[in-house]
Amino acid sequence: MGAQQPIGWSGMRGIATVPTYVVMQPTTLCNLDCSYCYLPFRRDDQRMPVTVAEAVAVSVNAWARTGRFSVVWHGGEPLAAGRDRFAALLAPFDGCVEHHIQTNATLIDDAWCEFFADRDIRVSVSVDGPEQRNGDRVNRGGHPAYDRISRGIGALRRHGIPFSALCVVGRPEPGLAAELYDYFLDLGCDVLGINVEELEGVNTRANRHPAEAVRAFWAELVAAWRRDPRIHLREIEWSLRYAGAVLDGTADEVLPRRLDPIPTVAYDGSVVLLSPELAGFSDPRYGDFTSGNVLVTPMDDILAGAIRTPWIREFLDGVEACRSTCPYFGFCGGAHAANRYFERGRFDVTATDHCRNSKMRLLEGVLDHARDHEPTAV
Amino acid sequence: MPEITNPRPSDRAETDPVTARVNDARAGLAALLQEAEVARRQRAESTSEDGTAVCAWNHFENIPTFYNWNNRPR
Repeated sequence: MGAQQPIGWSGMRGIATVPTYVVMQPTTLCNLDCSYCYLPFRRDDQRMPVTVAEAVAVSVNAWARTGRFSVVWHGGEPLAAGRDRFAALLAPFDGCVEHHIQTNATLIDDAWCEFFADRDIRVSVSVDGPEQRNGDRVNRGGHPAYDRISRGIGALRRHGIPFSALCVVGRPEPGLAAELYDYFLDLGCDVLGINVEELEGVNTRANRHPAEAVRAFWAELVAAWRRDPRIHLREIEWSLRYAGAVLDGTADEVLPRRLDPIPTVAYDGSVVLLSPELAGFSDPRYGDFTSGNVLVTPMDDILAGAIRTPWIREFLDGVEACRSTCPYFGFCGGAHAANRYFERGRFDVTATDHCRNSKMRLLEGVLDHARDHEPTAV
Repeated sequence: MPEITNPRPSDRAETDPVTARVNDARAGLAALLQEAEVARRQRAESTSEDGTAVCAWNHFENIPTFYNWNNRPR
C-alpha cells in the first residue's frame, strides 16, 4: 500500500529574505581553461576589493549571529586571488561565519593548507575522476592539468585536511559510474557530487544524452556506492531521502518552504540572486541580471527587493509552471534558473535537459536499481 | 520502464506517476534505505555546536558548495 501525496506541493513558494549562504567571487581569473567552463571572464584578473567584503560582512555577520551561515568563495579560481588578498577579504567576517572554498586544487601547497587549517576553511576540489577522465581540464596552453590537481589534493591529504569533491561527467557510458566511485574512494574525499555537464554560460556544448544511458549511469552509481558507502554521495543520498519520504507519506515536507536567494557577489560588488551562473552575462530583454550592488545598497535591501528584478518575476512564474505540470516537482523544486535561460532563453519555461539528466533520470535510475535489487527471500 | 515523458499535474494523488514509481520500488528501496542509514551512522562526521548531528539526510544542506535546492552548485 503506497503513501499518497497531499494535494499539490507546498514548498518553494516565493523567495526567502535571508539566505543560508553567500557566494563571493574574489577574482574572475582562473589559471585553468576547462573546455566545459561557463565563466565568461576567466582570463581576466579582476579582483574583489576589500570594501566589497566589508559591505557584505555587515549583513552576513548579523545573519550568522542568529544561526549557521556560510560564505562560499568561488571563482574564477579563488586561490588565484593570492593568500594576502584572500586574508584581507576574510578579515571583515566574524569568527562564527563558516567559510567554504571551491577550488581546482592546482594552486594548493603547504602554505595554502596551513591557511585553510588556521582559518577552518572547508575545502571542495573539482576533479573529474582518474587522469584519463580529465581531458577537459587543461591549462591556458591546452596541456592537461591533472598532475597539478593531483599534487594539490596530495597536499590536502598530507595535512590531514578533509575535503569534498565535485566531478563533471561529460558523457554517461557503461562502466563510468563504478570507475569514478572507485577513484573517489581511493582519493579519500568525504563527500562527492556528480554534475552531468550542463549547457550554460559560455559553454555551448550540447548536453543531450540518451535517456537510458543516463538512467543506467545513475543506477550503476547506486550499485557502486552500495558496495562501500563510505562517501556521502550527493545525488544518491538526495534521491533516497526523497524516496524515503514518499514511502513515509512525508514527501511534501522535503522541499524548503521558500527559495533560497543565494546572493552571488561578483568581484565589483554587484549581486546576482538565485543563480551564480548568470553573473557576468547580460541580455537585451533582462539586462545584466543583477539586483543591485553592495557598495551602493545594503544586502538586506537588495534581498527585500528581489522581486523587482524582471527576470526573477519571470523565474517565479516558471517555478509555478513546474509545480503545476511536472510530477518530479516534489523531488526537484523547479528547474534551475540558469538552465532555463541558457538552454531555452527564458525563465518561465519548464523542463530542461539539466532536469532530465540530473533530476528525472537520476531518480529513475535509483528506482531502477531498487526495482532490480529487491531482497530475496531466504 | 521508460522515463515518465508525459508529466501530469502533481496535484492529483491518485495519478502522480512518480509517487507510483517510488511505491512500486518499495521493497528494494526499503533495503537500500536501511543500508544508507547504517552507512550514515558509521561515518565519523563531527557534531555541530547545537548538538545536531551533521551526518543526516540533510548533510548536503550543511555544505553550501554542494547543495541547494534551487541551484545545484557546480
